[in-house]
Amino acid sequence: MLKNYLILLMFCLASNFISAQMVSGTVLDDASMPLPGVTIVVKGTTTGTATDFDGNYSISASNGDVLVFSFVGFETQEVTVTSNVVNVTMQSGIALEEIVITGLATSIKRSNAANAVATISADELGGRTPPQTLDGALSGKFPGALVTSNSGSPGGGLSVKLRGITSINGNSQPLYIIDGVYIDNSSIFSAGLNDVSNASGGGASANSNQDNATNRIADINPDDIESISILKGASASAIYGSRGAAGVIIITTKRGKQGKTIINFSQSNGWNEAINLQGQRNWTADLAESAFGQGALYSAAEAAGTLTDYEKELFGEKGFISNTNVSISGGNEKTTFFTGFTRNQEDGIVKNTGYDKSSIRLNLDHKFTDNIKFSLTTNYINSSADRGFFNNDNSGTTLGVALATGVRPWDYLFPDENGNYPDAPHGASNPLQTRDLMTNNERVNRFIGGGTIDVNLLRTDSQSLKFVAKAGVDHYDMTAKVIFPKELQFQKSENGGLNGVSAITITTNTNANYSAYLVHNYSTDNDLSFTTSAGVTKQDFSQNIVRVIASDLIASETNVNQAANVSTDQVRLEQEDFGFFAQEEFNYQDKLIATLGVTGDKSTNNGDINEFFYYPKGSLAVNLNNFDFWGSSDVLNRFKIRAAYGEAGTFAAFGSLFTIFNNTLADGNVGIIVPGTRGNPNISPERQKEFEIGFDAGFLNNRISVEFSYYKKKVEDLLLRADVPTSTGFSSEWKNAGELENKGVEIGVNVQVFDSEDFSWNSNISWFTNESKMTRLDVPTFNLGGFGNSLGQFQIEEGKSVTQIVGTTGPGTPVSVLGDAEPDFQMSFINDIRYKDFTLSFLWHWKKGGDNINLTKLLSDFGGTSADFDDFDVDPDGLIPNGNYRIVNGLFAGNARPFVEDASYWRLREIGLYYTVPEETINKWFDGVVSNVKLGFSGHNLINIFDYNSYDPEVSNFGGTGLSTGVEVTPFPSSKRYMFHLSMQF
Amino acid sequence: MKNIRKFNIIILTIGFLAFTSCTLDGGESLNGASTSSISDDLSRGELPQAISGILSDMRDRLNTQVDVQSIMGREYYYFTSSDPRFEGDVVTGNLDNQTFYTTTPWGTRYAAVKEVNLVLSGLANTTSDFSAAEIAAIRGVLNTLKAHELLMVSNNQYTNGIRIDVADPDNLGPIVGYDEALTAIAGLLTDAANDLASGGSSLPFNLTSGYSGFDTPTGFLQFNKALTARVEAYRGNSSAVLSALGGSFMNMTGDLTTGVYHTFSLSGADLANPLFIAQNQEANVRVAHSSFLADAEAGDSRINKVTLRDTPREASGLVGTHDVWIYQSLEDSTPIIRNAELILLYAEANMVSNPAEAVNAINVIRNAASLGDYAGALTPSALEDEVLNQKRYELFGESHRWIDMRRFGRLSELPNDRPGDMVPSAVPIPNDDDF
Repeated sequence: MLKNYLILLMFCLASNFISAQMVSGTVLDDASMPLPGVTIVVKGTTTGTATDFDGNYSISASNGDVLVFSFVGFETQEVTVTSNVVNVTMQSGIALEEIVITGLATSIKRSNAANAVATISADELGGRTPPQTLDGALSGKFPGALVTSNSGSPGGGLSVKLRGITSINGNSQPLYIIDGVYIDNSSIFSAGLNDVSNASGGGASANSNQDNATNRIADINPDDIESISILKGASASAIYGSRGAAGVIIITTKRGKQGKTIINFSQSNGWNEAINLQGQRNWTADLAESAFGQGALYSAAEAAGTLTDYEKELFGEKGFISNTNVSISGGNEKTTFFTGFTRNQEDGIVKNTGYDKSSIRLNLDHKFTDNIKFSLTTNYINSSADRGFFNNDNSGTTLGVALATGVRPWDYLFPDENGNYPDAPHGASNPLQTRDLMTNNERVNRFIGGGTIDVNLLRTDSQSLKFVAKAGVDHYDMTAKVIFPKELQFQKSENGGLNGVSAITITTNTNANYSAYLVHNYSTDNDLSFTTSAGVTKQDFSQNIVRVIASDLIASETNVNQAANVSTDQVRLEQEDFGFFAQEEFNYQDKLIATLGVTGDKSTNNGDINEFFYYPKGSLAVNLNNFDFWGSSDVLNRFKIRAAYGEAGTFAAFGSLFTIFNNTLADGNVGIIVPGTRGNPNISPERQKEFEIGFDAGFLNNRISVEFSYYKKKVEDLLLRADVPTSTGFSSEWKNAGELENKGVEIGVNVQVFDSEDFSWNSNISWFTNESKMTRLDVPTFNLGGFGNSLGQFQIEEGKSVTQIVGTTGPGTPVSVLGDAEPDFQMSFINDIRYKDFTLSFLWHWKKGGDNINLTKLLSDFGGTSADFDDFDVDPDGLIPNGNYRIVNGLFAGNARPFVEDASYWRLREIGLYYTVPEETINKWFDGVVSNVKLGFSGHNLINIFDYNSYDPEVSNFGGTGLSTGVEVTPFPSSKRYMFHLSMQF
Repeated sequence: MKNIRKFNIIILTIGFLAFTSCTLDGGESLNGASTSSISDDLSRGELPQAISGILSDMRDRLNTQVDVQSIMGREYYYFTSSDPRFEGDVVTGNLDNQTFYTTTPWGTRYAAVKEVNLVLSGLANTTSDFSAAEIAAIRGVLNTLKAHELLMVSNNQYTNGIRIDVADPDNLGPIVGYDEALTAIAGLLTDAANDLASGGSSLPFNLTSGYSGFDTPTGFLQFNKALTARVEAYRGNSSAVLSALGGSFMNMTGDLTTGVYHTFSLSGADLANPLFIAQNQEANVRVAHSSFLADAEAGDSRINKVTLRDTPREASGLVGTHDVWIYQSLEDSTPIIRNAELILLYAEANMVSNPAEAVNAINVIRNAASLGDYAGALTPSALEDEVLNQKRYELFGESHRWIDMRRFGRLSELPNDRPGDMVPSAVPIPNDDDF
């Protein structure tokens, strides 16, 4: 119908200007793809049009007229009309003209953006070396993020924090959106682990966060990703309302292109190995005698040749890695497709651990008509992770604690020829037996699907109106299996064991999101344009977790009914959010670009489920170089100043409105007991207010570009699971009770050092820092994330850094500040060097400062096995050996200072060296069937420089939530990866 | 054209649906009953569950308190490979006010007190058809249990004091000193006793098998009186001790283990006995203090509460040669109060005023342990020594030694094995409650 009007309109125009002719043509981009939406104006007139979905246009113009073709992200072109067919190929702008996302429905070219939105391309993400998980691949690649791996266990488990601390007890992890689908990133602990490790005490599994759980973003296949945009704070993410405060990571996957069907194949193989094994004490018979009175045992084992380095035995494996990826893409003018198959297999550095993932993706785009487009995204993932048994325990059973505290080199722990393992003579468990016989597996089946309908309702010379509707679903089932067979030393009845434990955790999670919006563009004659967008969003979240733990197993059965004792637990989550937004963007000749917007949302998670919370935003960018007074300077050719303000929220955790009984059993009678945390019916989302200013500058025709940002974000109504006097019967209570502030600076410098046909060198340096402060605290100072003052813990205190680590320093001393988890700064240095057919690219990442609480060494001190037990570098006076100092002058003296350590690191996070076989050679070999053959070698964390006295300063016993990362208790050691690559195109 | 019209309709429909479906429903808690469901109106069906909850929670982390008190009473050491503070802070007496050995015994007992208070409030608000006698019986049981839990806290906190009035979490009562706390606990027990006396003939709920023989209002009153005797002994009121014992289940000729117990099991959400550790373990052990055997009288059969280890276990300069072997499975019950303690409370209450009667009671205990009659002096101080000694062996590992030595001002007599070790007289008030 609209098309009819348009044609009619054009016909009228055409008949008015008899001397003019209809000029038509096709506009292609530099990849020869049709480019829709290109604005075409006859220079000096108000006559204009835009290309349709196929890049076709027609306009009334006379010979000699100049047509101006312009489109966001491309260089504007002027063409003089000489015939009635004018075909144009637009050149996409250099990196500066990249598109960044500004709203749910809108994007803007980077040179006009008012926020420092970070973007990561497919090449930057996995081009140097394939990442194990998507979130792991973000580390060091853009300013403003602190990415921490919780352990080296295969299958993920990471924390991503954007611009400092966003929340203390609320969600602090960013929202992930893939092709418009809200992705679940839960970290779900597996039943059975805490029941054996007793890490959280009491045996009950509820809220166990020390079990080294994975997080579900690990399922996403990095190979499928085209680009990632990162909205780091509320000033950019306000449009996401109550889910936006921790930042939003927007992921776009690859899509098909019209033309020949292309098949890409790549295969990578390699291995991983431990970064930094700790080694052993310099054992001799004398030392064994003086330490344990076991000199004779040492000598006997030495004579028998059975002295064993059990650290090497446990962590010394080389894990085999294999990644296979095949993608096929292509399509015709109406329908395009991209399909990708990936299989990743990776063994851990500990036997019987590993990660295996298969992912299949089909992305489809179809044009019903020139004005109606439909796109579909589907992804099925199947993954399996074997995680081993690590982190804190109170029973001496995890591999880490057993190794640290209960194993001496002269102990003989290997099985006999029938597979019978001896009990560890000095510990509760034989770690070799535990490693070989226990199971801790997470298996995930996940489907992510989304659809978008895109309709051009109206398109005229000066305005257009577009309707977009999206729907997405993210569904997964996860089955976590934990089995401790009865043969294990600590499961044997004669050792007081449970005679076998089998536990299963079944999680069903479904997120669904829907949105619909209208986008209206309007340009005036004097190049003032308006983009208005408005729409509604709705999200449903549903999670059901059932845990069953069985003990005293029948024979070697593991089904949970094959047992004497069974306990169950179920946790459900149902949440519905509804929101709307409206946003107006003004652009005056690319000189002044301003945005105003507001989001309102409500949720069943709030005290009043139909109360709207409103989050405004506003921003202004000024491209000084586009003003006439700037002139054309080669030295400083581009200079933009920008400022943005926005607010966004973080929901209270599900269920925090309620104080609900837990269940218990006493002598067969079911009972109800009060929960640890008291609910609060008046809890509301916390609110982040972020202000960001900065400038972007280009020097020497953008050979050097600089991006500088300063931000200040305030979080109000802070959600706190505040300690309450435990004489209330509760230990904590949900409250909106404080304010914190983060201030930071982010600097990015890009230098095209050299650029010629044979040799190019591009260098990227970013430097960023953040400082947080509790500006107000309405509850008394409280602690979290640690094991008490004598070992160091985090302390939330008004006027102090949010991430300060405190502890006592001697008997009866007051608590004092011993460190801070916040790094002084982070810096990354990325170089991409190409010489002829070779490319070398590497990423150095420096984290300066930031402290950890390291308790691994203390545990091995108690076991008398610390590698540095007999060194003298912990005692400030250098008189007492480290092991004794940490025990006697540290722990026993109530002195936490030895346990708070600088966790700085300087690491070669990624390096890749690739050779592209010249086309002539390939053609000679394969006769044109194969192209783009690339060979390469890459590595991850190959060089690691740190003083930190353990496996890796990147570690977290308490997982990725909240701020208590950086506490270390005998983790799964981190590994480095070596990979070899082959890829080709058919 | 037709297509476009079709799509226009679809779009309008989507738009319409999107904008109209904006009233949210739901927002339920989903995962459990609200605490107010009990405190607002207690029903007959909820009552047994609420009582079972209290009985269950009274056991929660019991081991932390028992271990800390047993270490401070130098009865045994607890070495655990993964938490060295049991051989550190607890033995050196350098107690932190935010660490689990301080906060756990306080918090878990007050959680049980909270549960009692919720049921008491529900009982006051109930619209169910409870008879006056039933209400009295329920209140009597609840206040007896509450008194016991407060006494457990008070035992740890001693002169640092405890809170009595904790019904309103937003408006807590003050911390009161040791004497005032014991007075309040005694008062609760007295009120409870009066209630139980008018509580009819049966309880409208089941207790665990640990209360068997005490599961009627009259039976429970005997338990109440036994606790009263303990509290009065702590207050130094000998005559009140004797009168309370008269109403209790004390039986000079009866089984010394008769009494009220916490039960444990491995089934479902039940708790396992946290004080059980198999013999000859390495990583986690409870080993007897060397003085337990060294000081034992020849022939005392109670030394079988510890067993010789295959190899001694050493930890940071402390050594244990014998495992504590009081509980022998994960399902063994642990005593709340039992006949042996009552007999020794009787001896203690008589040792000044009626030494002969005290000796009779002491001999009941001694004979049961294969020891001959007491042959020492009948002076109060000699009898005090003997009563404390019998309590030490008879109630080994049952959280009495440290408290008894403190009551008699004799903590300094407890042995310290390492320089720097020290027996503290009280656990600090947890930081969060210290105001």
